[in-house]
Amino acid sequence: MKLEYVLFGFGILFCLAGVGYLAVEYVKYLSEVWKLVSLLLTVGMFAFLSKYFEDIGW
Amino acid sequence: MATKRKNLFLYLTLACFLGLIAIFIVDGYLGIYDTIYIIAGEQEEKVEPDFWLRQSPTKPVGVKNAYHVSANWEGKIFFRYEVDNRQFSSYTADIKVAVWHSQEKVYDLVSQHMQIGAFDKEQLEWVLDTAEFLPSDVPPEQSYEFTVIIKRGQVERNIIVYINPSAYSSGAKVVPAPPR
Repeated sequence: MKLEYVLFGFGILFCLAGVGYLAVEYVKYLSEVWKLVSLLLTVGMFAFLSKYFEDIGW
Repeated sequence: MATKRKNLFLYLTLACFLGLIAIFIVDGYLGIYDTIYIIAGEQEEKVEPDFWLRQSPTKPVGVKNAYHVSANWEGKIFFRYEVDNRQFSSYTADIKVAVWHSQEKVYDLVSQHMQIGAFDKEQLEWVLDTAEFLPSDVPPEQSYEFTVIIKRGQVERNIIVYINPSAYSSGAKVVPAPPR
């Protein structure tokens, strides 16, 4: 059971690393306006996710 | 009601995530990207498309970015210009390459029409023989600089080539070792 959690943890880490790597690769080509919009969307994404977790009782 | 509200936040999170992905694809991936490969000497240098987007903090706004490369006196420089069309339509442009020195065009290197299909790449190669245009009044002991300007439609890429002075041998006097 614990091993499964460790594997889930690794899976999540690899996903985040992959998304992070791609973000770094392509953020170089974004124009200034879309960089700002991306930043706002990232902030919004984390804010809504926090609110969701709060609502389900985490 | 509470479940709907919970799901609303989840949907909003997903919407933000999808918006991010859409921006990365549309603004970050799609478009026209050019890469320059330069061989001056033995090593190949690659000028990535994002080099031209970076602005040096010491450089005032509006001053064009230029890539610097050094070559040997009367040496040859090999250029490969790759244009990557990441668009759903074909791309056409006139590529003009010329050598400039002191704001004056010295000579034209390449003038070619390029047509690239959707999500395809095209390459253009040329060789710059510095011996052909180095002025005769400049001695080999002196360094020299010129700019290779690549024009693709409205886009301009500047490559500043620094010619290293050749060995200081001819005029140097050999000083004998002092007696012990």
